[in-house]
Amino acid sequence: MNKDKIVPYTLIAPALLLLILYRFWPTVLGLHESLFTTSFAQGGKKIFIGPGNFIHLWNDPVFWSSVIATVLFNVIANPLQIFLAYILAALLNRKVKGINLFRGLFLIPVAISINVSSIIWKLMLDSGGLVNGILDRMGLAPQPFLLSVDQALWSVIWISSWIGVPFWSLFILAGFQSIPRQVYEAAAIDGVSSPQRTFRITLPLMKNSLAFVLIADTVANFLLFTPVLLLTGGGPELSTNVAMFEAYRRGMIYGDLGTASGIVMMLLCLIIIVVGLQSLLFREKK
Amino acid sequence: MKRILTLGIAAALLITALPLFANGAGSGESSEEKPVNLTWLILEFWNPDTVIAAYQELHPNVTIEAEKVGWGDFFQQNQIRLMSGEGDPDIVSIDLPLVASYGARGWLEPLDDVISSEDKSRWIPAAVESGTYNGALLAAPQHTSTQLLFVNKDLLESKGITPPGTDDRLTWEEVLAAAQAVSEGDIRGFNWEQNTAIYQLQPLPVSLGGKCIGEDGLTVEGFINSPEWIEAFTFYKDVYNKYGVAPKGDTPAADLFASGKLAMFVGGPWNIRRFAAEALLFDWTVSRHPYFEQGEIVTPTGSWHFGVNAAGEDKKAAAEFVRWLTAGEGAGLWWSKDSYDMPAQIALLESFNTIEDFQKPPLSFMKVAAAEARVNPVPRPVTPGFLEYDQLLQAAFSDIRNGADPKKTLDTAAGRISSEMNKYR
Repeated sequence: MNKDKIVPYTLIAPALLLLILYRFWPTVLGLHESLFTTSFAQGGKKIFIGPGNFIHLWNDPVFWSSVIATVLFNVIANPLQIFLAYILAALLNRKVKGINLFRGLFLIPVAISINVSSIIWKLMLDSGGLVNGILDRMGLAPQPFLLSVDQALWSVIWISSWIGVPFWSLFILAGFQSIPRQVYEAAAIDGVSSPQRTFRITLPLMKNSLAFVLIADTVANFLLFTPVLLLTGGGPELSTNVAMFEAYRRGMIYGDLGTASGIVMMLLCLIIIVVGLQSLLFREKK
Repeated sequence: MKRILTLGIAAALLITALPLFANGAGSGESSEEKPVNLTWLILEFWNPDTVIAAYQELHPNVTIEAEKVGWGDFFQQNQIRLMSGEGDPDIVSIDLPLVASYGARGWLEPLDDVISSEDKSRWIPAAVESGTYNGALLAAPQHTSTQLLFVNKDLLESKGITPPGTDDRLTWEEVLAAAQAVSEGDIRGFNWEQNTAIYQLQPLPVSLGGKCIGEDGLTVEGFINSPEWIEAFTFYKDVYNKYGVAPKGDTPAADLFASGKLAMFVGGPWNIRRFAAEALLFDWTVSRHPYFEQGEIVTPTGSWHFGVNAAGEDKKAAAEFVRWLTAGEGAGLWWSKDSYDMPAQIALLESFNTIEDFQKPPLSFMKVAAAEARVNPVPRPVTPGFLEYDQLLQAAFSDIRNGADPKKTLDTAAGRISSEMNKYR
């Protein structure tokens, strides 16, 4: 090996090792588990069934409804969160008096534990909660929110965005601030209009930040779990039963680790496909 | 000289070694004194202080730590911790229908070595039977249960309705009519205490002739979505939606009743001592569990048992505590100081007839409960997949209560439960 390659490889080795230990190895274990089933009729014995769990899931309408809920959640939540995070970051990038205070305030949802904020939101969206109290004062009809098939998924999207938007806006804000001021100054001298400035300068120069936010947000939302556990338990009528929650319920509660691992493996494939497409979209043109 | 020296050394060795032998021989006794720590997962509304203090005084080497968990999380926590095989908690609180489920997974230590047949004769036979799995006693009965209709007499009388007496049994049709008459403003007519639990709702389909599970204890398709079930849960849906006599919010029925905002609810006898202690501001009574006019009379049954974690470190010590608590003097202490539930011990049930306080209302209602517990009690289905059965049905009942179509919802539930039952086949 070339001598000047030894140093970089040595430096990334610890990170690589941890990545293998905590990411790659569990995936292998999960894949292994997904090929077995537990038979409690035979005293909890593990039986090798090959693709049996996957065939079972393929024919299981509840699994497919959880895939649909997951995809629906992502199709709505990802663009919404990134769009709002972009706007928020653009606002927080303004040089106005007390901007640091505003930046701090918008970080509060990120700083609160997701468990705590989920419970607070659940209380606020309750039939006798704060939100319905405000609606009532405004003369509007009370809403069922988390109890309604039509509103529950939207409510979960809302709550996860309440946390997600300020979090992702941090990265976008960093992207904004990494664009050299001189570029804008030169553009101003050339008489560039405001939309041109956004589409020709800001967005292209932000590509790397945006690509990171898009991919990381997608992965986070595909694996979303805590708000569902605490807010809806997958209901009503499976409308918020995302795949990660279905896997948790089958594996951790009902002891069916084989099927649960099968769901996680299929989810992993789905994420790889989506993230792969997103990476293609953001690929550097040669 | 040399010989004397050898003898001397041998003697010295013998003397120094003697305490070692003595220790070895006495190890059976000394293990009694070795400090033992036992953990115990319990429901948040139980108060274990009296029994723990009494037991620790009898056995100074034993320390019992009770950890309280809320009703909503209890079953999942219990299951996840037992599944981990870490041996915590040592003492397991088990709702009756889960005995088969935990037994099939090998999580419970048989208690027959510690609990004698004489001990078993102190409990009501049905409770012993349901704590037994594959011929071994896995769970010692502590409570039994039944359900009564609690009635706010003042509210009913204000609408010209004669409240039922303690030995009357209303039909569901009569309960609904009375509930409709009193429902106005923020007052509602009726609710179930555990309004999405199979324990509480099972009498509805069973009263109409429905069955809860197949003979194999695994088949649900064609049972929980049978015409009887659909009819029963259409009634249930209508109570909340079409007639609007039942509150949909999460406020517990017993709390609403105690505040005078709920005219009737079907609930457990544990409420009797609670309401007596709170001295409610209105006149109230209990009556027998309702039934459908054209149906059979059936009542819910079964309650909490205690068992020993098979993965625990001090299984014998844990089993001895369970014996003392359920069949020994702990049972009386627990019942009189710590819990409002119906005891599973025959002597305690018989004491209802002699305890002076129990001879006049409202505490005399405990005697009504003891009598009702013997009226056609229908246990919950015996299946190793009870947790799945219970929780997936709970989700279905909750959806129906919110207005989902009963047939479609029960069909989906049957599919989901069937899929989970495969692992027991």
